[in-house]
Amino acid sequence: MEAIIQIENVHKHFGNVQALRGVSLNIEKGEVVVIIGPSGSGKSTLLRCINRLEEFDSGKIVVDGIPLDSAENINAVRTEVGMVFQQFNLFPHLNVLENLTLAQTVVRKRNKAEAYENAIMLLEKVGIPEKAQNYPLQLSGGQQQRVAIARALAMNPKIMLFDEPTSALDPEMIQEVLDVMLALAKEGMTMVVVSHEMGFSRAAANRAILMDEGQIIEEGPPELLFSHPKHDRTKLFLSKILS
Amino acid sequence: MASTLPVLLNTSDKKSRYFDRWWLLLIGVILLIIGLIVFKPDPFKRILFFVSDGIGVTIYTTLVSFVIVLIFGLITGLGRLSKISIIRAVTTIYVEVVRGIPLLVQLMFWYFAFPSIIQGLGEMISIETLAKYRANPIFMAILGLSFCYSAYMSEVYRAGIQSISRGQMEAARSLGMTYFQAMRFVILPQALRVILPPVGNEFITLLKDSSLVSVVAVADITRRGREFMAANFIPVDTWVMVALLYLVLTLFSARIVTWIERKTKLER
Ligand SMILES: Nc1ncnc2c1ncn2[C@@H]1O[C@H](COP(=O)(O)OP(=O)(O)OP(=O)(O)O)[C@@H](O)[C@H]1O
Ligand SMILES: [Mg+2]
Repeated sequence: MEAIIQIENVHKHFGNVQALRGVSLNIEKGEVVVIIGPSGSGKSTLLRCINRLEEFDSGKIVVDGIPLDSAENINAVRTEVGMVFQQFNLFPHLNVLENLTLAQTVVRKRNKAEAYENAIMLLEKVGIPEKAQNYPLQLSGGQQQRVAIARALAMNPKIMLFDEPTSALDPEMIQEVLDVMLALAKEGMTMVVVSHEMGFSRAAANRAILMDEGQIIEEGPPELLFSHPKHDRTKLFLSKILS
Repeated sequence: MASTLPVLLNTSDKKSRYFDRWWLLLIGVILLIIGLIVFKPDPFKRILFFVSDGIGVTIYTTLVSFVIVLIFGLITGLGRLSKISIIRAVTTIYVEVVRGIPLLVQLMFWYFAFPSIIQGLGEMISIETLAKYRANPIFMAILGLSFCYSAYMSEVYRAGIQSISRGQMEAARSLGMTYFQAMRFVILPQALRVILPPVGNEFITLLKDSSLVSVVAVADITRRGREFMAANFIPVDTWVMVALLYLVLTLFSARIVTWIERKTKLER
């Protein structure tokens, strides 16, 4: 079967910073891939290239058979790909329910009732149906992030991208978000997750990837990569985050 | 983030009982005008009657200009934030040029120079209607005010949009919204709350600057005041009355702006 995300020799620079230097990666449908690596290694940039929040200089990215070239294709891809950000990025002027229904009605053209039903169902799934009428700033960080996941899921994406979804959270709130992600992985969602949560990677990921200086250095099953890294850079990085 | 919660609740709690005391100042000024008219009808009642048709003209000119400014200022502001460099260049030049020329000079240009340019053009390509073009004072005044204030307002919009974090646009786009959908449903509703005070400020400044149109044959409050003075030679009373009338309009506008600010905050 064809990979749902095909990344071929992608380069990207900001000014004179080479953020990505020829990244190639295929991700199968239903696969959960975790990306780790030092700060500035290009993890976010790679993720953002997948739904074209960032334009890349050269190379090719095909998502679910749709190449990211024309504007229509980019919007088509974006509706298939959900993204969860480190800073949640909920819409603060809308309540939780409106956060979940806005894109459904505007982009997916669902009617109000259908969008509402879907939103309530998803809030139950992420465990906070009682917050439907609250505004984002009235929620804890963990609750906000779960709403953000629900908001992305409301578009029925085939792929979910997570960019350090737990790094802005207080430690006691991390698990509630990881639990939601774990459940999602078990359902067979294709996920690309930038995260240094080793527990999550071990439990959910099929593959772990180490990036450094805009390149993929090493990849493999998480257990293997974490306990028996082959490359020196991987060893160095792991020793830093484990200590 | 947790600390913002009590603050939010606090303000909305007080809201219902709050009375904006600055209304009293407005009432004071109105009472002063009434007092002057009652106790010294000559000349104050005469002045008020004489300039009263100018009040409508001032309000009309200001309101129509402001509606245009709100729309055209937004378009210009978006243009200045555009990814396309030509659009950015054109709007930037427009804003810089307009901001560098006194409003009075711009009004003179639109009323005196622009029509004769049109006439010259009409003669050149021999189109009769253009060659005989005559400027309509109110139309040209509104054009001049709008053209100038749209440039100022575009800066207000631009600052407001830029104050919304980039993550908001990215979140909206990542959900598949187009740029305009994201602007309309996510960015602008937030930006408008931020820019409401400066927008209100622009309105009040525009209201005051509208007195400049008196030099291009628009019979607003100021021009009617000048006409009255020319006929009656009572400068002090005339200009006191004119000043008080402007004060009523600006104080009232300021109260309305405050009221809208409070109302939009309540929605949170
Ligand atoms: N918008 C931008 N403008 C300029 N440089 C950028 C921009 N975004 C990223 N970069 C640079 O590109 C490189 C890769 O950044 P990226 O955010 O992808 O790293 P990262 O692996 O996600 O790091 P972190 O763990 O800190 O989030 C860095 O050197 C960064 O400074
Ligand atoms: Mg990052």
